[in-house]
Amino acid sequence: MTISPMADLTDLDLPRYLADRYIMAMTTRAMTEPAFFILTALVDAPRHGYGIVGEVAELSGGRVQLKVGTLYGVLDRLVEQGLVEPDHEEVQQGRLRRYYRLTQPGRNALAAEAERQAANARAARQRLGAPRPAKAGSAS
Amino acid sequence: MSRLEQRYRRLLRVLPAAYREAWEEDMVATFLDSRDSEDAEAAQFAADFGRPSWSEVASVAGLAIRLRLDTAGAPPRSVAWGQAVRLVALMGLLVHAAVATVGAGLGLWVTGKLGWLPAPPADWVPATPLSAWQTLWSLTGLLWLPAYVGLLLGHRRAAQLLAALAVLPGVAAATSATVDLAAGAAPLLLTIWSNLLVGVLLVLALAAFHQDAPPVRRRPWLVALVVGVALLLGLFLLEWSTDPWVMVDWPGLYCVALVGVAVAHLVAPALGRRAWTPSWSLALALLALASFGLRVLSLLDYALVGAGGQRSALLAVGATEALAVLAVAGPLARRAADVLRRLPPLPAAPAAPSPPTR
Repeated sequence: MTISPMADLTDLDLPRYLADRYIMAMTTRAMTEPAFFILTALVDAPRHGYGIVGEVAELSGGRVQLKVGTLYGVLDRLVEQGLVEPDHEEVQQGRLRRYYRLTQPGRNALAAEAERQAANARAARQRLGAPRPAKAGSAS
Repeated sequence: MSRLEQRYRRLLRVLPAAYREAWEEDMVATFLDSRDSEDAEAAQFAADFGRPSWSEVASVAGLAIRLRLDTAGAPPRSVAWGQAVRLVALMGLLVHAAVATVGAGLGLWVTGKLGWLPAPPADWVPATPLSAWQTLWSLTGLLWLPAYVGLLLGHRRAAQLLAALAVLPGVAAATSATVDLAAGAAPLLLTIWSNLLVGVLLVLALAAFHQDAPPVRRRPWLVALVVGVALLLGLFLLEWSTDPWVMVDWPGLYCVALVGVAVAHLVAPALGRRAWTPSWSLALALLALASFGLRVLSLLDYALVGAGGQRSALLAVGATEALAVLAVAGPLARRAADVLRRLPPLPAAPAAPSPPTR
């Protein structure tokens, strides 16, 4: 969808909207770093919100400190896309704790993203490790 | 319920009701967990006197913007509003960029910096030459231009920062006017405050260009900038070269431009032309409101403070412009309301994450 002075009416067509919402989001959008870490945090066990925050901080070596608004902004999408689903609820200290688990599509999406990132890293490492090419125009 | 929890729940009210219904309890529990302390005294102190940190507030505000203004997961009405706010921001930036560009050029011309051009009229030349600092300050408005171009090129953060900087002269002008007003050295000028308000609202509207917002089509908007600058230059040339005086002031120009675009938008379907997006109706209705407000406030300034020899003529022309804006605002508002009514009322939140029965 783009904005232009003469863009057409189809921008808000329901079929297009549904396609954007349910198909494009699943296939074409790159996985964000918070989404990647949240999925990773759920690989070994279901976790509740604060458990995910702590696990993500540990996985990222303290670099990614999720705020609550950020966590749920990502989590609601992952639930919507079927990559994560609620597991069970517990009440502790009078607080409702809802646990989330990774679904099979979520596991597949995470594996694909991990492979993509690994391939990127391999390419960068190879280039970094390779001898520098001769400068253009220099005598061979 | 602790005061900390009350404060956090109050903050969550910025989120759509349907979203809160699905996620609020979970978010509150996670937030309170994050503020727990093993030290009972510290925990009690936090419960009584703690507040959500600024970064927590920012994360919830960001989520609210995403949910309310058009993202992949937003309902069609939010999509329409998001697109409308972005159109308003784009048109606002376009106008500011064109005005700043022409204004800077005129400023250089009347201060004698463009010696190769014909001399400006004597009454356009400032009585005292501007200092280097004043010249630099007056050129700050030019930041609207890279802000606009930056936005078109996808540098939304840079655009937001530049736009925020471009508002600073307005803040300084309003502060100075307030000091003068308090000292009795100057009358109250509503235009200064309304211009500042428009600038600030414009900067805030740029938040609608969030991470998930669709890209802007550069070409038509760049063409619009060139056309806008050319039209403004043409108008000033007309004003310079004609006698009697052509009455041009900025609020008037906004009204004329708004009416022109609105008429084109309203008659396009009747002429068999391709309809513009529904969000254009919303955006133009919002801009009609802003143009009308600016026009009326500036007319109040003319009426209360005075406008030299052209006062009665300015008031008559201004009132006509305001009426013209009202005339197009009605159909625009009706069309915008129709658009919103027709959009399917999907819930504002994803499927509520109710746990599976076991």
